[in-house]
Amino acid sequence: MVYVEFSTISKHFGTSVAVADLDLQIEQGEFFSLLGPSGCGKSTTLRMLAGFVKPTTGQIRVNGRNVTALPPEARDIGIVFQNYAIFPHMTVFDNIAFGLVERKLPRVEIKQKVDSALAEVGMTGFEDRYERELSGGQKQRVALARVLVIEPEILLLDEPLSALDKKMREEMKYWIKNIQKSVGITTIYVTHDQSEALTMSDRIAVMDQGRVLQIGTPVEIYEQPASRFIAEFIGESNLLDGTALDVHGAVCSIDIDGTTVTGRLTQNNAAIKGQAVTLLVRPEMIRLHSLDASEKPKLNGTVREIIYQGSVVRYRIQIGHQHVMVEVANRPDLARLDLDDDVEVYWNADSGVAMP
Amino acid sequence: MTKATAVRASGLSQHQFKWLLVVPLVAFFVLFFVIPVGLLFATSFNPAKVGQVALVSDLTFDNYIRFFSRSNYLIAAGRSILLASIVSVITLIVAYPMAFVIAKTENPARNTFLLILVLASMQLDMVIRLYGMMVILGDNGLINQILQSMGLTDGPVALMYNFRGVVFGLVQFALPFMILTLVGVIMGIPPSLEEAARSLGASRRRAFMRVTLPASMPGILSGSLLVFALSISSYIVPALMGGFRVGVLPIHIYQQVAESARFQFGATIAVILFLISATAVAVYLKLGKRSSGGLA
Repeated sequence: MVYVEFSTISKHFGTSVAVADLDLQIEQGEFFSLLGPSGCGKSTTLRMLAGFVKPTTGQIRVNGRNVTALPPEARDIGIVFQNYAIFPHMTVFDNIAFGLVERKLPRVEIKQKVDSALAEVGMTGFEDRYERELSGGQKQRVALARVLVIEPEILLLDEPLSALDKKMREEMKYWIKNIQKSVGITTIYVTHDQSEALTMSDRIAVMDQGRVLQIGTPVEIYEQPASRFIAEFIGESNLLDGTALDVHGAVCSIDIDGTTVTGRLTQNNAAIKGQAVTLLVRPEMIRLHSLDASEKPKLNGTVREIIYQGSVVRYRIQIGHQHVMVEVANRPDLARLDLDDDVEVYWNADSGVAMP
Repeated sequence: MTKATAVRASGLSQHQFKWLLVVPLVAFFVLFFVIPVGLLFATSFNPAKVGQVALVSDLTFDNYIRFFSRSNYLIAAGRSILLASIVSVITLIVAYPMAFVIAKTENPARNTFLLILVLASMQLDMVIRLYGMMVILGDNGLINQILQSMGLTDGPVALMYNFRGVVFGLVQFALPFMILTLVGVIMGIPPSLEEAARSLGASRRRAFMRVTLPASMPGILSGSLLVFALSISSYIVPALMGGFRVGVLPIHIYQQVAESARFQFGATIAVILFLISATAVAVYLKLGKRSSGGLA
């Protein structure tokens, strides 16, 4: 069931276009991410849904209700900000009680709800603390409790992890996802960090310059990127230039420096025979050790650089005049390679994605 | 040569170098504030003797006893505190909306223009500004002419040479200080605080009352403190706008020193004025700690 719907939404600031003709449909209970570089319009989209920014054109519907003209306080939306926006003059208890006080709930009920919200985010005993007495992770928990306690229709998260250090970020990523799952709340998550989006989302919309480029599950976005921009923005990519030789349905044979390899065509880009194409292969999809002597495609290359990273070893392989990065698990059964070793490079036929 | 190598070449550690930078300020402060004011305060413990300026070794509390046993001095102290308090409150009420508008004006050109407008009034000396105000506030001034022509009053309303006039003058004097203090603090409040309050169900007005206003409390307190200190110590405004008829402590100090030539008693009043200001600072600091959750 479509729960949140953007219909031809655009937002202009003066002459600049922040969001252009946006159409989005988000399902109930879904964890939906808006992913893109800064200035791509993802935050403006979120702020339009929250009611802080009025769209120039279009309509936003939540649960069948047109909310486009409603002020923020009439929308029943919870938002967690990048800086958490904990009220500095209030205790943790008063922060979490804020929305309940605005809803004029009786004191006893407020106390009850705040206590259970504190328990839910693991902050029992912190009631009397002030913002300055909390760590980044604790502020995050309070900000989330403050929002969840009012049981909003939608949860909005605006880059909530970017102010945390790396270790805390990893921890909070799973924590937020678990809370979201257990509450079952429709969640829209804004981030520029592809790994956050891939880890947490049910679906991702990749945005750039005010437009949505692709919407899909993390697997679709990562493995079948619709364009070179998406491929390069999400994860690491090897992009090999070649010429399309032949097209059979969704499979395309490509000539790369005289060797013929195959790649999958994404639906969105039908490469045309005889034209230049780019073949995308992820570093971890490439093997330098054949599983089977008859395996194809196969390119010949030379090891030019070795980067040891503990759990993986990365090799930069020169193939003709092009280079690919290859990531190999650091396992005892996979022989280590040396500089200037000649190697054969393999990948499964459907691991290569051909793009015009 | 980089800063680090310059410091090393002079044989000073980074730490020593940093302290060297405050030497000019400390020297100036000691020479032109601590020593003269300290000497003045010391003379307050000398017996009052007309024409005697230099410090003598004869110590006494007579001046203080005189101050606290004469009702006119105690009334003057009370009047000073009342005046400074009223001016602080009025200035705050007038300044806050303006400061809010300036802080929320995002367009840099418009923001700068508004700040220049506020600072413009500080470009003229206070005496000149006060003479300007007299044209408006006098018995035949603009305001009285308008009031009378509208038939609101029969005779002129006394707007100056009284307590009211001093309040007008001091508010005018103190406004830019208050506005600048508040603008800084309001601009430092992240807009996300108000947005968070709004999306939690607070109307624009409620969000202001429950979040933005309390979050600007440190500015309100420090601005009020600044205005209080400026007002209670002002001599020129009570002198010109009050026509020496509003007897606040600085007027008494001037009269003792310049008219009666009793430096010692003038110094005593100055010490008491200083203690009142210092007490106000202490009270505000305590208030600040409580109201802002230990923010200040």
